[in-house]
Amino acid sequence: MIVQQIIEKAMQKAQGAQATLLTQETSSVDFENDRLKSAESSQRTQINVKVIVDGKVGNSSTTDPRDVDGVVNRALEAAEFGSPAHFELPDPQQLQEVKTFDPALLPLQKPEMIHLGQKMMDMIKAYNPEILAGAGVNKEIYRFEYANSKGASYSAEHTGFNIGAGGQLTRGTDILFAGHGVGQKKRQVDEEDIATRAIEYFRMAEKIVPVDSGEMPVIFTPGGLIALLLSLGLAVDGKNVYLGASPLRDKLGQQIADPRLSIVDDPFIEFGPNTSAFDNEGVARKVTPLIEKGVLKNFIYDLDTAGRVQTHPTGHGTTRQLTNLVIAPGETRYEDMLRGIENGLLVHEFLGLGQGNPINGEFSVNIFLGYKIEHGKVVGRVKDVMLAGNAFDAIKNIAAISQEREWISGPFAWFNGLFPYVQIGKLSVTAK
Amino acid sequence: MRDRLSEAIKSHDVEFVDIRIEDKTNSWVNFRGPDLDTIGSARTVGGIVRALWKGGWGYATFNDIDDLPRRVKEACETAKLVGRDKTYFAPTEPVVDSIKASMVKDFRNVPLAEKKALMEEYNRIMLGYHEKIQTASVRYADTFKTVWYANSDGTYIEEEKPDVNIIVIATGRDGDIVQNGFEMGGGPEGYQTIENFHENARTAAKRAVELLSAPPVRGGTYSVITDHEMTGVFTHEAFGHLSESDFVYENPQMQEIMVLGKRFGSDGLNIVDNGALDGGLGTHKYDYEGVPTRKNYLIKDGVLVGRLHSRETAAKMNEQLTGNARAVHFQHPPLVRMTNTYIEGGSAKLEDMIKDIKLGVYALKEVGGQTAMEMFTFSAGYGYMIRDGQIAELVRDVVLTGNVFDTLKNIDMIGDDVGFTPNGPGGCGKGSQHPLRVGLGGPHIRIQNCVVGGQQ
Repeated sequence: MIVQQIIEKAMQKAQGAQATLLTQETSSVDFENDRLKSAESSQRTQINVKVIVDGKVGNSSTTDPRDVDGVVNRALEAAEFGSPAHFELPDPQQLQEVKTFDPALLPLQKPEMIHLGQKMMDMIKAYNPEILAGAGVNKEIYRFEYANSKGASYSAEHTGFNIGAGGQLTRGTDILFAGHGVGQKKRQVDEEDIATRAIEYFRMAEKIVPVDSGEMPVIFTPGGLIALLLSLGLAVDGKNVYLGASPLRDKLGQQIADPRLSIVDDPFIEFGPNTSAFDNEGVARKVTPLIEKGVLKNFIYDLDTAGRVQTHPTGHGTTRQLTNLVIAPGETRYEDMLRGIENGLLVHEFLGLGQGNPINGEFSVNIFLGYKIEHGKVVGRVKDVMLAGNAFDAIKNIAAISQEREWISGPFAWFNGLFPYVQIGKLSVTAK
Repeated sequence: MRDRLSEAIKSHDVEFVDIRIEDKTNSWVNFRGPDLDTIGSARTVGGIVRALWKGGWGYATFNDIDDLPRRVKEACETAKLVGRDKTYFAPTEPVVDSIKASMVKDFRNVPLAEKKALMEEYNRIMLGYHEKIQTASVRYADTFKTVWYANSDGTYIEEEKPDVNIIVIATGRDGDIVQNGFEMGGGPEGYQTIENFHENARTAAKRAVELLSAPPVRGGTYSVITDHEMTGVFTHEAFGHLSESDFVYENPQMQEIMVLGKRFGSDGLNIVDNGALDGGLGTHKYDYEGVPTRKNYLIKDGVLVGRLHSRETAAKMNEQLTGNARAVHFQHPPLVRMTNTYIEGGSAKLEDMIKDIKLGVYALKEVGGQTAMEMFTFSAGYGYMIRDGQIAELVRDVVLTGNVFDTLKNIDMIGDDVGFTPNGPGGCGKGSQHPLRVGLGGPHIRIQNCVVGGQQ
């Protein structure tokens, strides 16, 4: 195995070494502007190496499996000037059994993927022929291997399936984009449901309605919840905690949100979009509660940051990326949540998210796709409206969480997870 | 390589085929907080074959470049699965060319240890600047890429693309308030572009500290003046993306909105995309379809006169080629993308723009922007209130938003001081392709009735 060869070669000079190998085959089909536009086959190889020499770390990578000498030498060179190793490579660990490979995806070929895309396109066109429809279907099969000089050696086979549809509707100078998609590791998918949800976003936007500036209750859709989760994700990142940049750095064990809010990071969900048993540092993954009944429970650490603050890595890899986020359902039916609002907004997508100062919780975004709620009903789409607030204040000020939850996943999702609708008491809205 | 590519292309049985191969070596030095965060280097080799058949594209992307004829076959078979209509693809003269990098100081000859030592100096300057500086980071990256391009027209281009960039970020904290100041630099000209960054590091730290005591701007509608960076991001985000013909060429309603000859702004407004600009971050001699780049007017004297094309969109719309088919790397086919986009200089002086504003916002230093066709939003690193014709207090969290058509019409003064955004780690994103190097710039401009986000 290449990863073993790399370890052996590196250990001639290093006191510690790890290597990962990703090999991936992808096929995809893409519909744009009402027509099948392109299809693609892709092959990928990626090798990453980390070495520890005299207590210092060096990294390197290559896409060429014959470049074992080169990649090892570059990592050794980097280690001469590298940062001090605040960690030891992990010993072999017992891994959780997880479902990441669905054989049903193996026989799926491009003609059938084209058929799936066409079916969703046809549904959208049947709803409104004026919509310029698009769709994408993508299937991937990959193998990930890890080995280190402590004798840990793992490999995992994964499948992936991403499917989505949407479109663009132009009326005068008004341009509306909407769509829906899912990303998961299994073949079984309800493509009609995807198209139906995409259509629903268009249907609710048939009318454009005015909004007055002011403070009002706001419901975040499961997709729209990213506006709040983005700041939370940055603030629980162990590196930001270690550097003192996280506003939650000294709030572990404290009430930081409404007691109805519980969020857990679960890498073991069957065929979940980011399900896996080990990370790219050879750390066994585990379930990590982030917020339990409003109380902050954990930060996310990789080997390096865990070493620096003398705690344990959480199995989220070198980038400390969250896996499958699961928010506990609430007690309110979505319909009742709507019904309780006299004058407010339902927000789904934003422009400008992550600009400014997201780690502080502050957001000031343009509502790219959002709707006005009047007398308990969605009455139309809002435009040229800014939503501003603070995510950490907002999660203390939750008015309701829905019973219904939806998977937010796929290549364009900031975070993958199972999310409810969340109603925030009041937020500031600026309309032109 | 030329023989390998032409040999592989020979085997095709579709209407058009091209191959792009890249070999990239990059290295990086990152500090975060007082310590070195990561240091390393990487090599990436790979390619893409595109095949065109009856209006449909087949792509094959790969890291393993050994068996090119097989990849060509794969792309051709895929194209035949897709193609069902008529092909539109503009012809262009075949070219054979080789473009060599010319760096004043080649970063490949600078030892990693020296790069690390210099970045550590910048980092120390920020950390030691003030007691309220909580943390700092320095990200240095250099890339040397060779791209080989060949197509079935007989074009063969070999191009070396060096790039070095740096960003220094100082983070200040006062209680629960955290503010960043940052500076970016670098360029294709070599290592010397990032060698004297000490003053920039101080500036970043100074701004972070000052922003701690600056209030957030109050949301509302203001007269807004933008500096060259903010003008650049506005031009790029708000208008530039609408000029990318792949949004237009198969969309009759968009064609109505973007009909050539339509007035978008005042007489003094000229917007340009220029891939042939000397020293621009988005400058290339040829695009990734072998088309030479050039200066393209998008708006001239306030009127829409042009748009950006690939060979497919130009043919479909029966317009001239512009050389704007670009891709971030070999894992993607080219899309219609901007190169260096800017508003040309006018005649106004900054002080004249400010002097008759009763209440306004002066927005500086772009942090980023995003667009959804006619809606846009972009953020400034910092800003100043303008009160009674004078620049007043520093404000933070300045986010401008609006509708491009209204906003272009609301530009009432155009400065005479064109400048460009410095190099840095970012770039433009479109679809899944990010970050693409683009040049952004323009003069100071004044926009009336511009919405600034924020709490009221």
